[in-house]
Amino acid sequence: MRKIPYVRVVCCVVWLAVSGAGFAVLSKYQNTSGSSGPTPSDWPSQARVTLDQTRDTLIMFVHPQCSCSTASIEELNRLLARRSESVNAQVWFFRPKAFPTNWTQSSLWRAAAAIPGVTVQEDVDGTQARLFGAETSGFVLLYDPRGKLRFKGGITGSRGHAGDNEGEDTIVSLLAGQETGLSQTPVYGCSLLGKCRVRVP
Amino acid sequence: MTGAGSIPERIAQLFQEQHQSIIKHTDRLFARLMIFQWFFGLALAWWVSPRTWAGTVSRVHFHVWAAVFLGGVVTIVPVLLALWRPGEALTRHSIAVGQMLMSALLIHLTGGRIETHFHVFGSLAILAFYRDWRVLISATVVVFVDHLLRGYFWPQSVFGVLNASVWRSFEHAGWVVFEVTFLIISIRKSLEEMNLVAERQARLEALKDDIERTVAERTAELAKANEKLQLENAERSRAEQRLHTEYAISRILTKSPSWDAAVREVIQTFCGIMNWDAGAFWKTDQQEGVLRCGEMWSAPSVESGEFKALNQKMAFGRSIGLPGRVWAYGQAAWIPDIVQDSSFPRILPAKPGELHTAVAFPILIGGSVVGVVEFFSREIREPDGDLLMSLSNIGNQLGQFFERKRMESQLFQSQKMETVGRLAGGVAHDFNNLLTVIGGYCDLSVMQLPETDPLQGNIVEIQRAAKRAGALTGQLLAFSRKQVLQPRVLSLNEVLHNMERMLRRLIGEDIDLSTVFDPSLGHVKADPGQIEQVIMNLAVNARDAMPRGGKLTISTSNVTLDQKTILRNRALEVGEYVMLAISDNGMGMTEDIQSHLFEPFFTTKGLGKGTGLGLATCHGIVCQSGGDIRVYSELNSGTTFKIYLPRTDAALDTAGANDSKALSNGNESILVVEDEPAVRTLAVLILRQRGYRVQESSNAFEALELIRRSAPFHLVLTDVIMPQMSGKALCDQIMSQVPQTKVLLMSGYTDDALAHHGVLDEGLSFLEKPFSPGQLTRKVRDILDEPRPARSIRSNGNGRVSEMMTN
Repeated sequence: MRKIPYVRVVCCVVWLAVSGAGFAVLSKYQNTSGSSGPTPSDWPSQARVTLDQTRDTLIMFVHPQCSCSTASIEELNRLLARRSESVNAQVWFFRPKAFPTNWTQSSLWRAAAAIPGVTVQEDVDGTQARLFGAETSGFVLLYDPRGKLRFKGGITGSRGHAGDNEGEDTIVSLLAGQETGLSQTPVYGCSLLGKCRVRVP
Repeated sequence: MTGAGSIPERIAQLFQEQHQSIIKHTDRLFARLMIFQWFFGLALAWWVSPRTWAGTVSRVHFHVWAAVFLGGVVTIVPVLLALWRPGEALTRHSIAVGQMLMSALLIHLTGGRIETHFHVFGSLAILAFYRDWRVLISATVVVFVDHLLRGYFWPQSVFGVLNASVWRSFEHAGWVVFEVTFLIISIRKSLEEMNLVAERQARLEALKDDIERTVAERTAELAKANEKLQLENAERSRAEQRLHTEYAISRILTKSPSWDAAVREVIQTFCGIMNWDAGAFWKTDQQEGVLRCGEMWSAPSVESGEFKALNQKMAFGRSIGLPGRVWAYGQAAWIPDIVQDSSFPRILPAKPGELHTAVAFPILIGGSVVGVVEFFSREIREPDGDLLMSLSNIGNQLGQFFERKRMESQLFQSQKMETVGRLAGGVAHDFNNLLTVIGGYCDLSVMQLPETDPLQGNIVEIQRAAKRAGALTGQLLAFSRKQVLQPRVLSLNEVLHNMERMLRRLIGEDIDLSTVFDPSLGHVKADPGQIEQVIMNLAVNARDAMPRGGKLTISTSNVTLDQKTILRNRALEVGEYVMLAISDNGMGMTEDIQSHLFEPFFTTKGLGKGTGLGLATCHGIVCQSGGDIRVYSELNSGTTFKIYLPRTDAALDTAGANDSKALSNGNESILVVEDEPAVRTLAVLILRQRGYRVQESSNAFEALELIRRSAPFHLVLTDVIMPQMSGKALCDQIMSQVPQTKVLLMSGYTDDALAHHGVLDEGLSFLEKPFSPGQLTRKVRDILDEPRPARSIRSNGNGRVSEMMTN
């Protein structure tokens, strides 16, 4: 077997190191969740979001241009596919007042609107998001019919990553009447309202 | 490929080459693929997550930068290695690692889509193109490490749970291993097939090599066989050419009438068939000891005028020049290039004709070189052993032809001499009888007439004329070698000494006679009378060649001939000789005259001044004595005759010549048998006058009757040549019936009757005609006085009869 020149070996090692570092950074970014504000444990009376008094109400706040939220919408779809009859799902899209409607009614809007049983609304200037403490796109809240907060957080395992995740599983369990020990999960997405600060978990 | 043992090596080599080719091809494929993937990743990132937002503010998504930089990093090294070092293990392993990293990146960029995970499996399948299971292991390791690390640090992103068991990494990697396992199986199968293909190819190559080698060997064999065949054909052609030449020359020699014509045609024919350009014939000049050019021929295209002219003038001694060398050594000689041979004296005149190769061969007769033939060619030819052999055959053929012509000439001469001899013998026989009668009666008349009788003078004249006539018939018989010789052992010095006075008178005062005798001169056996005749003839010729005077030199010496020489068809064998030389400084003779000198009736003297028999007679006498006569002459310088006689160690004979003038008497009974009446009458008369009791008979039968009826005769005198029964036959009868009777044969010449029978019985003697009364009576008396018939005649078998004592 020919002896591989030392230089090439060194280069390959450097290359692997650099590549590994790059993937490490990418992974860190991928798994760095966004921030979330204070969420009222009781339904705020001033909310324009309608509480369903017959069943649980699920609210998702989405930035219409956040690509990472595509996975969140997919997971919402998967979630509702499992428990759509026992929850009233609403997706509120952030719309700055100065921006045109077509900015808000993006592919995400259409994807969410396409989910059966999902009501899609515009959250002008993000007032409702602020009300419910949603700072990161893909933030999900679950309230029971009495207006008590049952769950808040994200329903993706990492940024833009669809697939099994604990947030979804928790919501499904809650909707099935099971009590879980987990009521909050990280949210992976863009800053919903701006001045997005990435909080390192 | 060299043999069956190297097939496995060749298989391995072919396999390796094929595998390496596939690897390089796959390297290049991945190089293109990875570049495409990079750009695809870029596009994907831009399409899936182009910007990241914070409220209303956006910037380029991190994924895009990751696609650019991380994708570039992941791509650059494998691509560079693929382009720079294709086929190397490091290259493909880096490609495997890079491809897996690219899969991870794409999965990231697509948000972990399950579909994107197929890139991993697809990449593994493409990596299987390398047919190197180690590459798959490298890729698998990357996948496993990725899942391990990700599962450890970010389990939710991989497994969807915040805490995952490490075995879940193995579970994810396990599916990769599943695929890899089957890929490895497929690779093994593929490698086996590749090996099989390599083996087949190797065996095919080996077979092809074998076939090519066999073909090459066969081709070489065929080429060699062809070359050999061509050489054989060429050799056969040359052999056929040589045979054709020899056959053509044989035909020429069969039909050619003369030597000169034959030689010219032989040279021309040889040059024509064998493609040589010129030829020359050199003949030996024994007297001068040189070779002189006889014939010269050249092809019309050869400029050989100068060469021919020089050849005509040149003479080569032994060992001088090419002809001389061949003459000296008796063997053919070959000069490949006369221009390069400094010992070839004729280079300059040969140059215009551009002659290069020269070959010469001897014409041999019994081992002696009688001529040399040269051939010249404008090509430079190396010595050809077969051609030299052929030339040797031609030389032998020419020698045989020369010998045949010489013998034909000799036979012709012999037949001519035989014819002339028979004629001469026939004339001499009758003439001698007549002369016997004329001379005999003249002698009787002279004896009976008184000296004062006026008729004495007339009768003496008639006697002289008869004697001259007898000498003439003697000459005739001498040159035809039918004369009866009475050789004795003598010394030429003594004979010359006795003749000196007579010779001085004969040649006259104008010619100075000088004698040089060898005191130790040996003896010879010859008829002294004949030798005197020879000397006289030669002296007379010398005198006639010096009409205004000159010098005549007679010398004797002992000579040893160490080489057989042939001249005028007469050979002188090796041995001891006595030489008698007669030289003059007269007008000399041309070669043409010399060639006819000893022919009968040839003369250079005017009409009536010579019979033309003198030298023929000399030649005949000398040849009958076992020697030869040679002439050396140069025009206006003089002539030398050299007589060679075999030397003998016997003592000198002291017997004197018969005194023809004495008459003897007796009273015995004698029977004369002679068919010529005049001779018979004369003989009877002479004997009766001397007191003998003579009876006569005209033929042998009558004589036998007389012998039977009468008392035994003391002597029978009989002629040899008689019709019905010869004197020899009569003699035999007498010897058987009455052995006490002596017999005396008489004849004018020898003939087959005497020569053919060899040695005759005892009791015989011989009397030559014409004889005088004194010679007859003396002879009769001598024989009768012998106590018993002791003399015999021995014949030499060639017409020479001589007396010898047997007791």
